[in-house]
Amino acid sequence: MVIEFSVAVENAGVVPVVRVSGEIDVYTCPKLHKVLTEVVDSGQIKVVLDLQNVHYIDSTGLGTIAHSARSLSKADGQLNVICSRPQVRKIFEISGLSSKNINLFEEESKALSA
Amino acid sequence: MSQLPTVTIQIPAQSDFVGVVRLSVSGIASRMNFSIDEIEDIKVAVSEACTNAVQHAYGGGDGMIDVAMTLHSDKLEVLVKDSGKGFDPANAVSAKQDGANDALFGLGLGLTFIRTLMDFSEIESVPGQGTVVRMVKNTPVETSA
Repeated sequence: MVIEFSVAVENAGVVPVVRVSGEIDVYTCPKLHKVLTEVVDSGQIKVVLDLQNVHYIDSTGLGTIAHSARSLSKADGQLNVICSRPQVRKIFEISGLSSKNINLFEEESKALSA
Repeated sequence: MSQLPTVTIQIPAQSDFVGVVRLSVSGIASRMNFSIDEIEDIKVAVSEACTNAVQHAYGGGDGMIDVAMTLHSDKLEVLVKDSGKGFDPANAVSAKQDGANDALFGLGLGLTFIRTLMDFSEIESVPGQGTVVRMVKNTPVETSA
């Protein structure tokens, strides 16, 4: 089953939550890049990225997320990623990014409060 | 000796066709004895090879990518070939190195995924002639109860 890619920003609370569904690859990544860049450039210090409904991610997706995390980090901010799917977590771990300026969480409440 | 079953697919080197290869290789791997996790590994590795070709082979111009999937009795072998400008794998930035050029970082990360997720991989790239990525995933050894 292929889930259509979508990305949306929720600004209901203090921290914006970027929710993504579907596959993040070389085709869909520009849409994620655009939304993340807009959120980061709006001056947010802390951003939560929800990947719970993402079942595939590749190097282009990780590159985009790493780029946003670097931008936030330079402003003393942080990018908290909600990621509960083992295969997606595995990709983060192989990349080495999860040990740098990207924080991985399994639960949204922890990502928001961290 | 009978010829090994091989499925070939040719796609334009465009980003919206990479998902088609992922679906194809997923279908082929599902016919073999791979676990769901292993099928996901294969999908990522093959997709990364295609992504590299889409992003770097033809410099944004037209071109094609050939993918050949051969079903051995004990492994799946996948070749991803383009006829683009080629590159030196040694110039790809290490996946552990951030702060670098994003495109080269993505290329290095893609190669890291291929090497890590497959049991064997090799890259042959000739400037001006193209690149062939060959990768192999061994099927799990069945143990009798």
